[in-house]
Amino acid sequence: MTLTIPALRARAARRRRRRPLGVTLAVAFLLVAAVTGALAPLLAPHSPNATSLLDSLAPPGTAGHLLGTDSTGRDVLSRLMYGARLSLLAPLGVVLLSGILGTAAGLLAARAGGWVDAVLSRAMDIVFSFPSLLLAMLVVAVFGPGLTAPICALAVSYTPFLGRVVRSVALQEGARPYMESYRAMGFGELWTTVRHLLPNMTPVLLAQSALSFGYAMVDLASLSYLGLGVRPPAADWGSMISQAQSAILQGSPWSGLIPGLAVLLTVVSVNVLGEHIGGSIARRGEGT
Amino acid sequence: MTVQDKKTAADTATRADALGIAGLGLAIGSGEDAVPLLDGVTVRVGRGETVGLVGESGSGKSLTARSALGMFPRGARATGSVTVGGVDVLAAGRAALRDLRRTRASMIFQDPRAAINPVRRVGDYLTEGLRARGVPSREAAATALDLLEQVGIRDPRGALRRHPHEFSGGMLQRVVIAGALSTGPELLLADEPTTALDVTTQAEVIGLLKGMQRTRGTGMLFVTHDLDLAAAICDRVYVMYAGRIVEEAAGTALFSAPAHPYTKALLEASPSVHGDRTEIRAIRGRPRSLAEAPSGCAFRDRCPLADDDCAVAVPAVRAHGTSAVACVRPEEVTR
Amino acid sequence: MTARALAPWIGKRALGAALTVLVASVLIYGALRLVPGDPVLAVTSGRRLTPDQIDALRHAYGLDKGFAQGYLAWIGDAVHLDLGRSLTYQTSVTSLIGSRLGVSGLLIAYSAVLAIAVGTGVALVSAVKGGLTDRIATIAASLTTATPPFVAAIVLLSVFAVGLGWFPSTGAGTGLTDRLWHLTLPAVAMAIAAFGVLARVGNAAFADELGREHVAAARSRGVDGAPLIRRHVVRNALGPLLTVIGVLVASLFVGTAVIETAFGLDGVGSLLVTSVSRRDFPVVQGVSLLGVLLFVAVNTLVDLALPFIDPRVAARGPRR
Repeated sequence: MTLTIPALRARAARRRRRRPLGVTLAVAFLLVAAVTGALAPLLAPHSPNATSLLDSLAPPGTAGHLLGTDSTGRDVLSRLMYGARLSLLAPLGVVLLSGILGTAAGLLAARAGGWVDAVLSRAMDIVFSFPSLLLAMLVVAVFGPGLTAPICALAVSYTPFLGRVVRSVALQEGARPYMESYRAMGFGELWTTVRHLLPNMTPVLLAQSALSFGYAMVDLASLSYLGLGVRPPAADWGSMISQAQSAILQGSPWSGLIPGLAVLLTVVSVNVLGEHIGGSIARRGEGT
Repeated sequence: MTVQDKKTAADTATRADALGIAGLGLAIGSGEDAVPLLDGVTVRVGRGETVGLVGESGSGKSLTARSALGMFPRGARATGSVTVGGVDVLAAGRAALRDLRRTRASMIFQDPRAAINPVRRVGDYLTEGLRARGVPSREAAATALDLLEQVGIRDPRGALRRHPHEFSGGMLQRVVIAGALSTGPELLLADEPTTALDVTTQAEVIGLLKGMQRTRGTGMLFVTHDLDLAAAICDRVYVMYAGRIVEEAAGTALFSAPAHPYTKALLEASPSVHGDRTEIRAIRGRPRSLAEAPSGCAFRDRCPLADDDCAVAVPAVRAHGTSAVACVRPEEVTR
Repeated sequence: MTARALAPWIGKRALGAALTVLVASVLIYGALRLVPGDPVLAVTSGRRLTPDQIDALRHAYGLDKGFAQGYLAWIGDAVHLDLGRSLTYQTSVTSLIGSRLGVSGLLIAYSAVLAIAVGTGVALVSAVKGGLTDRIATIAASLTTATPPFVAAIVLLSVFAVGLGWFPSTGAGTGLTDRLWHLTLPAVAMAIAAFGVLARVGNAAFADELGREHVAAARSRGVDGAPLIRRHVVRNALGPLLTVIGVLVASLFVGTAVIETAFGLDGVGSLLVTSVSRRDFPVVQGVSLLGVLLFVAVNTLVDLALPFIDPRVAARGPRR
């Protein structure tokens, strides 16, 4: 439709400018999770590994065990706090690694062009065809259980997500006149790329990284849930759920549902955050 | 003549009209937050008549044209009256509106590439309206074929099976015109039908449109931002500014004696081969929508003749020479 | 559209798919050689084998040959459906996978049908109705997209299997009806995240089409209601939707690993998990190869179908 009603658009923009409640809640939740994870030794009411068979499978709300206990009587709240460390740091590692790889690959493909671009783009297509969880399991088969190898595998697996976005943004921005003028002024390729191209794509990178964080968290927690991730006594939320499996079948699901909820809320939060950043890029693109 | 007679006469007059819009107001939302879009728009298109509706973008000309089909923006409330061939559009229910769109009025859009579904065949596009009316598919296909021939598409039989992206813009607009005429409407709404085409194609499409309209006796509302074009092909022209009609005149009279300062400014702002003007003068300021227009005359913040009188009230439409104009002192414009 | 116009498109897709499978299979084969130390000793640790058996394994893996020769022997056998013998089960990997493919296949099909039907349905209704319906659907989609399959699994297990007792908590059942009953909770658990993605992508695609001028033009011709939605909205959104559906369905295969473990099903996914933890390489390699093949096959089929859905695609490349 050719209907252009500026007044309506202004009203809609005014409504959008308010920060949505969801974003505030998401940031708050992520902060709480990160802080309790970091300060777990100070804040946790119990040792995460102290078993007490007498107190096993206490429901949430039990005196002394706010979120109950698991099948060996360990305090769920304390384990949740300690578990936050690995559960949040491991996906962060994936995101940082894949961010570096993806940015490098995307920039190189866009700036070099020609056969470099062709090979890199094809390589990213191929990596994309290898399901991330499958790649992670394959490296576990090679190197044995643990998180280091899967983190590297997932980083490689997520590289195309970022690489493709970076490549297309770099191509778009690189074609803009201001880039041409810097080149005409005699600035080198590397300098213009680092000084002008990278800052321009930071929001896109952030938005995409937030989404990748969610995927990585689910994949890594899946590995731990399958018993292929963290090795006991270390614990993350995925392994907590795994250990609660038999208790769930016996009708005491809490020790599994609570870490499950933690994973779910974290993923929802980063997704909301990523979309908010992505959305503000789109709105800025409209030129309002 | 009794009051009763007058009423009947008025009724017959409207019924004879292809399109009658009277005092149409349109606003989105209500109360404090309401955004007005149109105010007191009155437009009449007689049968077989070509009527121009001219204005800058945001003036509400497309909104006015679409109101004839009962197509309003989401959440908009309309007041006044809109009739097409005597059918009350604003009071029409879903079924009546659908029936009106299928039989009485057709719309031609600005960009044919956007207005035809790209994934369906041209044949589907042309027969859809007929099929929806219950015309058997074989008969609808024959009609479509006949129409394609009339609008000058080469190999019409093959064209039916092709997709829109296989046609040029000009050819596609011919397809759209064929589609608009397929239902034998009384009213044709052409919303900037040539703006998206290149100049040589424009003339062909205009010629085709006028020819088809004349032979069929269809009334046409021709919406455009191009005052020269409108004056050249239309019997009468309405000029719109900020959601209101500011002048109504015969096509020829517009050139010789523009009665509204806005019409005059528009003429002076466009280079023309018709007149002897050599100087092109841009209109100061930028076009307003009704929501952001000043009180009183909406044009007064851009008008060279404006003074305090213009702020008092929205000028009423009154006769001036052969035209009707909404300006407090049209004589200063014509002079 | 003629076949000739499509030939370059088909050729390019097929070539890309073949290259992907080639590289992936080299990677899968090469994984064994990456094992730190002596691969055979590492892989067989914990099992008592005679030197003869170890030599036999070394030969079976092609570790006594160079990389290229070993790969060619392995992939040549794989083409003839010979994926070697499992170290744990002492049977052929092909028959091991084959006997479990039924359960996994049904599970994937079941959850794909659920996700596609409910996902696109919700997407369409929310896009057409807008307003409150749209908002509720958006929130539901955001939540389900973020739900990891194992969380969905334990919630469904504790509510519908343990709590209410409506569904069994483990096993795949016998006979079609019984099997579908057993597979309902796993299929739902696996479909939940896919549903969310489809509901969002579908909503965006439908809303995008609804806002297009050709839809307004169709309305202006008196086309409305179901025919308008079917012929001008759903039909046009099919291309982007199918692309997403392809990726989702293809990734369901790997999803079976988590779901089959959670619900105690004997399928290919749970086989992969046990084989990974026992480092039963022939099985891991076989299942991985199958996974990549399926993923590539589904996505290539979707790519090949696109020109028939949107005639512009072959002329200007897919919308990605």
